[in-house]
Amino acid sequence: MSVNIMLPTPHKIIDIIRETGNEYTFRIETNAKVKHGQFFQVSLPKVGEAPISVSAMGDGWVELTIRKVGKVTNEIFNLKPGDKIFMRGPYGNSFPVDDFKGKDLVVIAGGTGVSPVRSLLKYFYEHPAEIHSLHLIAGFKDEKSILFKEDLSNFRKRFNTIYTLDKDKIEGFEVGFVTEHIKKIPFDSFENYNVVIVGPPVMMHFAALECLKNGVPEGKIWLSFERKMSCGVGKCGHCKINETYVCLEGPVFNYTKAKNLLD
Amino acid sequence: MGYCVSIKRMNEILKELQKEYKIYAPVRFEKRGRYSDTDLIRYAEINSIEDVVYDEKSDFSPKEVIYPITQALFYFTEYEYMESKIDDKKILIFARPCDINGFRRLDTIFLKNGGTEDIYYKRLREKVKFILMECKEGGWDSCFCVSMGSNKTDDYSLAVRFEDDNILVEIKDDEFTNLFGDEREVEFTPEFVTSNPTKVNIPEIDSYELLKKIYDLDMWKSYNSRCISCGACTAVCITCSCFTTLDVTYTENGKVGERRRVHASCMHEDFTIMAGGLSFRKTAGERMRFRTLHKIYDYKLRFKDEHMCVGCGRCDERCPELISFAATINRLYDEVKKLKKAETTKDIK
Amino acid sequence: MSYDIDIKKVRRNCYRQSKVRGEFMLQIRVPGGVIDAKYLSFFQHIAETWGNGEFHLGVRQTISIPGIKYEYIDEVNKYIRPYIEEIEVNLCGVDMVVDDNGYPTIGARNIMACIGNRHCIKANIDTTDLARKIEKVIFPSDYHIKLNISGCPNDCAKAHVSDIGIIGITKTEYDYDRCIGCKKCVEACAHHATRVLSVEKGKIVKDSCCCVGCGECVLVCPTGAWTRNPKKFYRILIGGRTGKQTPRMGKIFLNWVTEDVVLGVLKNWEIFSAYVMNNKPEYIHGGHLIDRVGYNKFKEMILKDVKLNPEAMVAERVLWAETEYRSNFNVKPVTQR
Repeated sequence: MSVNIMLPTPHKIIDIIRETGNEYTFRIETNAKVKHGQFFQVSLPKVGEAPISVSAMGDGWVELTIRKVGKVTNEIFNLKPGDKIFMRGPYGNSFPVDDFKGKDLVVIAGGTGVSPVRSLLKYFYEHPAEIHSLHLIAGFKDEKSILFKEDLSNFRKRFNTIYTLDKDKIEGFEVGFVTEHIKKIPFDSFENYNVVIVGPPVMMHFAALECLKNGVPEGKIWLSFERKMSCGVGKCGHCKINETYVCLEGPVFNYTKAKNLLD
Repeated sequence: MGYCVSIKRMNEILKELQKEYKIYAPVRFEKRGRYSDTDLIRYAEINSIEDVVYDEKSDFSPKEVIYPITQALFYFTEYEYMESKIDDKKILIFARPCDINGFRRLDTIFLKNGGTEDIYYKRLREKVKFILMECKEGGWDSCFCVSMGSNKTDDYSLAVRFEDDNILVEIKDDEFTNLFGDEREVEFTPEFVTSNPTKVNIPEIDSYELLKKIYDLDMWKSYNSRCISCGACTAVCITCSCFTTLDVTYTENGKVGERRRVHASCMHEDFTIMAGGLSFRKTAGERMRFRTLHKIYDYKLRFKDEHMCVGCGRCDERCPELISFAATINRLYDEVKKLKKAETTKDIK
Repeated sequence: MSYDIDIKKVRRNCYRQSKVRGEFMLQIRVPGGVIDAKYLSFFQHIAETWGNGEFHLGVRQTISIPGIKYEYIDEVNKYIRPYIEEIEVNLCGVDMVVDDNGYPTIGARNIMACIGNRHCIKANIDTTDLARKIEKVIFPSDYHIKLNISGCPNDCAKAHVSDIGIIGITKTEYDYDRCIGCKKCVEACAHHATRVLSVEKGKIVKDSCCCVGCGECVLVCPTGAWTRNPKKFYRILIGGRTGKQTPRMGKIFLNWVTEDVVLGVLKNWEIFSAYVMNNKPEYIHGGHLIDRVGYNKFKEMILKDVKLNPEAMVAERVLWAETEYRSNFNVKPVTQR
């Protein structure tokens, strides 16, 4: 009998970090080889499965930052370190990190969109020699929805950062949507660069348009999609957009492809 | 090799086959149709050849035999998942050419897409042998298999033609030869439908620019008021394969239960809804467009060989709002022709 | 011309008095409202030969032909003899002698019915067929009864405002494995009916107690998980009426009964009416008769020798809700008791 791709395996929760009132990061024991931008199908027997992107990884663990938004995630929030959580994966493609190396990188992330790019950011934070420059625009709705505070403050030291809140005015944060700050990126000064945009669909749409307006070529823009998924392996059909299965060919898409992924 | 088999003998042969096989065919469920005093014809296990409804088109496709509407994937206790089991018996399915061709589409999704195999599909699929059922001449009113190129197949073990007192049987699979050894030999190979009353023209969509214009067509909006998003079309479709997984616990103790999958429909409002509430394709028209393009455009774009739709026409027959998929395809063809013409005219100018 | 006519006798013959002295309107029975289209020319001939050239689609689904002069009634009655023979005797199997004297009674009124499942998507029963079977039971009779049949609880034929109303209902059955939990039935039930369906663990749970048996869940179910039990069921309402004094909606008497029960009950109707009126038929409709002797006596008599099917439910009491056009209408002087 062949391998059962739907079979999840139990993994120990090493640590739980409270990011915001309804977003926790779970550090989970696993030896899975994970690439930046991939996701796991996370489940609890009795409750169900949900696709969760990897927000950090290390030797023998991954971190999943989970927002309490539904049946599965609500239940996961009741878990404690030492408890078991079930996973299968990792699934999907990843950011072309090798392609990013030695060049300039612009990361534009909104809200929970920071999660799927966090591992990428942490990688270049820990390997600053591998990137020419990194410009990060991270936006949140308000003060209480700011994620990864410690990381963000670390990133200030090695990256060019613009942090922004939609409305609240607090120290260290600009005001306004991420799109409003894109023009501040010195695209003209870059020799060779890439732009990563992750966030809610509307935010990605307008951020990409803003980049194009600022002269960024389509081929340099990368997006990460979020879709309903039941299987993560190209069978259930929920995430399909035209001929593309987001779980298989995505979630990361170059803009040249993403612009044709119409719903 | 062909044989002429009496009903009585055929039933004896079926009895013999039942020792090893579960035999499925379209069966009549009297007065179980959608409307009062109408029948429902769907696949079920048969016990005699008389159970087979051969002279009508079944409401539902045979996909549910090996891709059950509700299927347990795992049973779980508090700490482990156990894979669900299936019956040891092999499976024989009385099927039409379009459906046999349809199973190849299901195979593509479940066994090839993404380079992985779905074992729940595979373990039943491996057991299947087909008994081809001849269609009546021209098929039924809503059939458009010829347009879709799915009117013929050679993927069968036995083929049958139902006559008044006898059944003509062609044996292609040696496994079954012995069973028919004593029967009267006749010349018989099944005939396939070569022309349907319903025909469709498949639009050629050769660029994303054209695709974007197709998205904007007014024809989709007309379905906002016509389509009630019930999903009857996808439920009967031989090639619709989407599902949703969910966990349920058994009420008695709440600690054990199962992870199961149930068929899902892209025509339902909640098909794309994510935890948190974000969803896509919010109107019936957009969902109609999605389904149409999947069946006659993007499946082929992805998998190359053939379109997903096999032209069985069940979606037409079953739509409670009398929306014809064949008409939808032809409408789209006309619209695409107009778009292309406009493009050429623009080029000349 | 001077007339000397026994109006009541003519009425009993199904001719209704006109405001034009000496003119009458013939009410031709069309049990259940469905007959062959060929009879249209027959009606046309009557209207153009003896009537005023018009016809009325009677509110109780009779074909009514006004403007017939009293002196032509004998001729008309001779002419409609084959129609009565064909419809009443041949089609409905009514046990009666047909002669040249027209309809023998007007008491049991024409049976009204919606088109039913011969055509209608929503209907649960063949109302035409049932109307014809009931015609055989209730006609001819001098006891007045208005009987309406609806194919589903939508009640287009207004069973709720007739002496006896019959509604076709369906016991729906649920196939757990075929259900995909799409909630279309839940929405349909909430929208059209009594919100008895809900989702639990991805499947449907039904509060059977309050199901009205309309079958909307079957109509909307994409997978055929909901189907009708092939057995036909009926709801019987009693005591509904229109009228100047105390119009009221009928109330449930029996629920989930079979056709045998329906016909059995109706067989007892004439006996019950005769009992209430001491064998002297008056122009009083059924609901009033139930009022006279009370529901319990009605129930006892009407269910006599009727074998109720196991699914049947019987009303223990009936709480009438009348529209009283004069307050305390039912409180009457001792002299009028």
